[in-house]
Amino acid sequence: MPPESTRLLDVQAKIRERFRLFGYGEVLTPALEYSEVVEEPKLRDVSFKLFDPDNQMLLLRPEMTTPVARLVAQRLRNFPPPYNLSYVLPVYRRASVGRGRSAELYQAGVEVVGSPSPQEDAATIALLVDVMNTLGLEAPGDFAVVLGQTAFYEAYLRHAAPEAAPDLLAALAAKELVRVDAVSAGLPDEVAGPVRRIPRLVGPAADGAILEEAARLAGGAPDAVAALENLREILRHLDAHGCLGAVILDLGLIGRHNYYTGAVFEAYSPKLGFTIANGGRYDNLLECFGQDLPATGFAIYLERLLSVLPEEDASPLLVLIGGGVAGTKTAVALRTSGVPTLYLPEDLTPEEATRYALSVEAGWICYPTNGGEAKLAPTRPGARFEAVRVEDIAEKVLGGMPQEARQ
Amino acid sequence: MNARSKLRVAVPKGAIFEEALRALGGAGLPVEVLRDDGRRLFYEAADAQFIVCRPSDVPVYVEYGAADVGIAGKDVLEEGEPNVVELTDLGTGGCRMILAAPAGRAEEVRESIGHAEVVRVATKYPHTARRYFEGMGRQAEIITLKGSIELAPLVGLAECIVDLTATGTTLRENDLVVLDEISSSTARLIANRGSYRLRIREISTLAKAVEAGVPLG
Repeated sequence: MPPESTRLLDVQAKIRERFRLFGYGEVLTPALEYSEVVEEPKLRDVSFKLFDPDNQMLLLRPEMTTPVARLVAQRLRNFPPPYNLSYVLPVYRRASVGRGRSAELYQAGVEVVGSPSPQEDAATIALLVDVMNTLGLEAPGDFAVVLGQTAFYEAYLRHAAPEAAPDLLAALAAKELVRVDAVSAGLPDEVAGPVRRIPRLVGPAADGAILEEAARLAGGAPDAVAALENLREILRHLDAHGCLGAVILDLGLIGRHNYYTGAVFEAYSPKLGFTIANGGRYDNLLECFGQDLPATGFAIYLERLLSVLPEEDASPLLVLIGGGVAGTKTAVALRTSGVPTLYLPEDLTPEEATRYALSVEAGWICYPTNGGEAKLAPTRPGARFEAVRVEDIAEKVLGGMPQEARQ
Repeated sequence: MNARSKLRVAVPKGAIFEEALRALGGAGLPVEVLRDDGRRLFYEAADAQFIVCRPSDVPVYVEYGAADVGIAGKDVLEEGEPNVVELTDLGTGGCRMILAAPAGRAEEVRESIGHAEVVRVATKYPHTARRYFEGMGRQAEIITLKGSIELAPLVGLAECIVDLTATGTTLRENDLVVLDEISSSTARLIANRGSYRLRIREISTLAKAVEAGVPLG
């Protein structure tokens, strides 16, 4: 119901506009997917399950990345990559703590399939920052994007402590730094130090100290050095996008266990304890669909995003009351001049009109009078009506729009 | 929830309250305010805020970001599996999660479990208990209680219990013996995922100071 639904739809519209501006094509996929499509046990667990007439198990999609990957593999095989696709759709999860508690969640996101370039990782992060900015959030005060590189720690561990690597990665994916320390106790000192220290490297991306220390700690592992160079390249492009200031590096961020293969990122706001958006590079997923394509992308949790957006001011909606044919003409004139107008034929008293206008969150009340004039008042009990010419109403009403004011 | 300038710390009341205070105080936080009045739930100090809550609620406050950091027993974290960052082991508040049964029937219960019979288990930690039995490939009927778990086997509500014990005194008083040790637990410093990154400087300094057990310079 308005106003919540209006806010959600407005935000979706603004996000779509940004996605289009960045060249993404929007997809629609069915809410139901065959259960084989979703391979990750945790995602399958949180999914609603159904059976079709042939007794095949179906899932209500718990996320969008896998359905998009399936779509790419099935439908875009004969077209040249990369495929830049976006979506704004609900996903379904059996409610649990921290998931917003609703079983239906709106997500908006993009996937770039078919390019291994770190430039694409930077571009998706820049798009996320652009969306946040467009919605009135400014970094670093209102939000930050936390960026990690899964391959860096993984490569270092494979090089320096191959046997402990699975345990260490599982501990870090669970964000249990204490367990990382405990496992590292069994390693030689020159390895235990970096094993403990690397996941704790967190700080502003603009400050080079984090990367320097990471390079020093993992210098002997060639694959780790390569992963770090990939991260540097991403940062160079983020700088070129002008959004390095929105990024916090966290070399302990590796995301879901065994899913991300390179860059991985999460967006946070000081107003909310949960991730507002997350994403990263997942070069192994498309293999499940018979196509070995690298991919990167992100998803925004729209309900969470809405909860941290600045309050909107009065709505530009105007309620026009009564007046017969003159009223209808006024309504036509107002709509022609761009004023969102809700026309009520009934002759309401100003008190009734105020009550009604409040119920539909309209910012203005207007009574048509003769000779191209009208009486106009802002919606609040006891407000004074002033006589205005109909053609002047647009300026008054739209002039007060928060969107206009902000631009 | 609104963005705030001061770090908000969730402190558990009860058994580990004093140890939590010592660790936080040792790390330079103004915890003296917490000693003023044992009944208040929210304390405001010059550069920090404190909330005092049930130990099992600490991870909830932290996961939702209603507190930036908190101190919670590993037992509570294993039971709730909250999505938080576990930063530091305080090394205090040591206790063990155990499987226990009445002394007179201990062997019987052990054999039942050994023969994969379904036993009835009373516990405050249903998730931990279920995971323990599933890990052994055994089935158990888990009965969740809120307190005085020791009573359950004495009156036949359950055959055994999964509970936390520090000294074992309560077990002995109720004539219960330990059949197995499931895990051992100490207090941990935990952080909200967002706060940890957005306030990394404060939180990593706190974590280091807690770990070193020395006051901040």
